[in-house]
Amino acid sequence: MKLLIVDDSNVIRQRIARTVADPRLPAIEVVGMARNGVAAIAMFNLHKPQLVTMDLTMPEMDGVQCTERLTSIDPAAMILVVSALSDKATAIKALQKGARGFLYKPFTDEQLITALLELVS
Amino acid sequence: MSDLKEEEIRVFVDAVTHYFAQLTTDRPQVRGAYLGAGDVRPPSLGFSGLIPISGGFQGSVYVSAPRAMLRHLLVAAQESSQSDENLLDLVGEVANTIAGNARRFFGERMEIAVPVTIAGHADTIRPRCRTRPYIITVEWKGYTAQLVVDIDRKE
Repeated sequence: MKLLIVDDSNVIRQRIARTVADPRLPAIEVVGMARNGVAAIAMFNLHKPQLVTMDLTMPEMDGVQCTERLTSIDPAAMILVVSALSDKATAIKALQKGARGFLYKPFTDEQLITALLELVS
Repeated sequence: MSDLKEEEIRVFVDAVTHYFAQLTTDRPQVRGAYLGAGDVRPPSLGFSGLIPISGGFQGSVYVSAPRAMLRHLLVAAQESSQSDENLLDLVGEVANTIAGNARRFFGERMEIAVPVTIAGHADTIRPRCRTRPYIITVEWKGYTAQLVVDIDRKE
């Protein structure tokens, strides 16, 4: 399964990339890491990942807009929003735009693994 | 302009406590006070991250932390590169996470911009919004960081 990681924080991108190597998850190949929505769309078109982790607060194009664009390209894309924005309205908006799950920052490795397992199972 | 309400301060205290507890399992010691009107400069402990706030609110959420504390947090996150770039990235992410978590209370009208990060003295920080911002001191593993809450509802 191919994964695209979208987050403006390098520390978070690297942490997600390490965590998805956990043996409880199906084999996941990180095919790209993007720091904003514009770069994410280019990488999504290039690599065609089935799975995306998506931050929301990013420069140039935010995660809600990017989620909408990615699901218009591939409605089957499984997008897990990983964001600190903790109000209900934002989560609902992201889900309405096509996200399949929402994980709040700060997260533990276990919480990320559980969220990804729920998404891919 | 009135001071922040107790429940508004609690939102930020809870957010910063939760951040450290989630990442490291060690809860920090947290105490708060209003910044004096004469303290014109924000605290500058080495690396700082500022989140500009807009929408139905104005002001900023600002975090400043020393290098050693951020390096320790990177280790907790299993990040092997302790470059200045990653230290800045992390302090911005801490500020972003605390501000984002506060939207659980303040709602989506509290719009959050991407972090502005500063190494060294934070001389470029814009003037404060409130006469008396609230400053939360975080002590964790012998290190001290500071969180400045300087937000207000727009009229």
